[in-house]
Amino acid sequence: MLPSTSYTRDRCVTGVHGLDEILRGGIPYGSTVLCSGTCGSGKTTLAMEFLVRGSMAGEACAHFTATEPSVKLLENIRQFQFFDMQLVDSGLINVFDMDVLYSWLGLTKATFELEDVHALIKAITDIVNTIGVTRLVIDSVTTLCYKIKSEQLIRDFLFTLGKKLATLGCTTILIAEITSATENAHWSSFGVEEAICDGILVMGDTERMGHLIRFLQVVKMRGSAHSRAKYALELTPLGVMLTPMLKWGSIGDKSSQWGM
Amino acid sequence: MIEFDQRISEQLSEVSLNSSIQVRVGTSNAFMVTASTILPLIEMFDMGGVYISASRGAVEIIEAFEEIGMPTERIHFIDLVSSGLLGGTETQYDNITFIDSPIMLESILLRTMYHMRTTPYERNFVILDSVNALAIYNEDRMLAEYLHTFINTFRQREVLTVIINVPDQTPPGVLANLDLYCTDLVDRGQVVIH
Repeated sequence: MLPSTSYTRDRCVTGVHGLDEILRGGIPYGSTVLCSGTCGSGKTTLAMEFLVRGSMAGEACAHFTATEPSVKLLENIRQFQFFDMQLVDSGLINVFDMDVLYSWLGLTKATFELEDVHALIKAITDIVNTIGVTRLVIDSVTTLCYKIKSEQLIRDFLFTLGKKLATLGCTTILIAEITSATENAHWSSFGVEEAICDGILVMGDTERMGHLIRFLQVVKMRGSAHSRAKYALELTPLGVMLTPMLKWGSIGDKSSQWGM
Repeated sequence: MIEFDQRISEQLSEVSLNSSIQVRVGTSNAFMVTASTILPLIEMFDMGGVYISASRGAVEIIEAFEEIGMPTERIHFIDLVSSGLLGGTETQYDNITFIDSPIMLESILLRTMYHMRTTPYERNFVILDSVNALAIYNEDRMLAEYLHTFINTFRQREVLTVIINVPDQTPPGVLANLDLYCTDLVDRGQVVIH
């Protein structure tokens, strides 16, 4: 049955080449999107470009980095032409080291309990609220959640965080590290992240005759009739570029030969 | 002194920017026909472009073009050959991008699109040299799918597409599809050797 109205949600235009077409206009505003990928698949670059494109349109953006120090992150991203350090200097892109945030909050324990998780959520949402952040990236939620021992607590953390950020009108990308992006792989490290999030982008490599080709696939995006196909991804100086992956290009697909 | 094929420039003056031209060459005239196709695009139609070299390394092509007085500074070369040879990427030319292998078809497309986004020229062409070189590494069906995507991508962006192939070395299925996708044909594939 077709929907009775033609209502469509407003979109956060990512500005990433090809991604908005795949998402049929962008990410629905206020969504929490899990960006899961293997190492070297381009997650951080994609997320950073998402922030840069937003900041160039005047949006306040924040990046919480748990996997590498902010200095190193910025040093790596400066090689791309799409990035302008002025965006950081002018306060449109705000980069926070999670380790520094933990220190501010006095979270020095190896593992977090319920009250620690709530303190962390409050700190992040306070920052978002104070700066007026409309685009947020947490890189990575996997590293962050390693400090949270219980699955239930991880679920509560992500659900509460996502809900609060959505009410603040913030569109969020949570980066998750996975070891495999093939068809039998999980989309997250703990198995709970994907259920909480409004959208899932999977990034990884597909092997073709010994060469790795980066791909991106949108598995889920609530509120959007998006494409679910696999797209080849290239990291260029201008940023991420996407094109449909060749249907006959999969490894070991013997049927790709005509007449077979 | 090389003699350019003037009839090709006459034929090119009748095509529009969103055309896709199949250029059929023979093994002995491939270089002359390719040069005769590129020269009018640069000199008569004031175009810039991307040259995808799957048959030979880009440095070798640039040097051969320079030898016959062909300007190469308006062309960005995407070299699919040299990187696989380890050490073939050390060059004085800064208008070459190296791609690891001719099997990375999507990367070739994206790199070409990237150069089209950065080109200072209003009108551009893309030359794929050649289908039969790509056919050495890629399955027929995948190659046919790729050519379909490739031609339509650039036609949509009003980039003149030139596809070079040696017909008797191109898989029949691919050739049949190429005939279908391309809007124009420059046929120099039947060479009589005396």
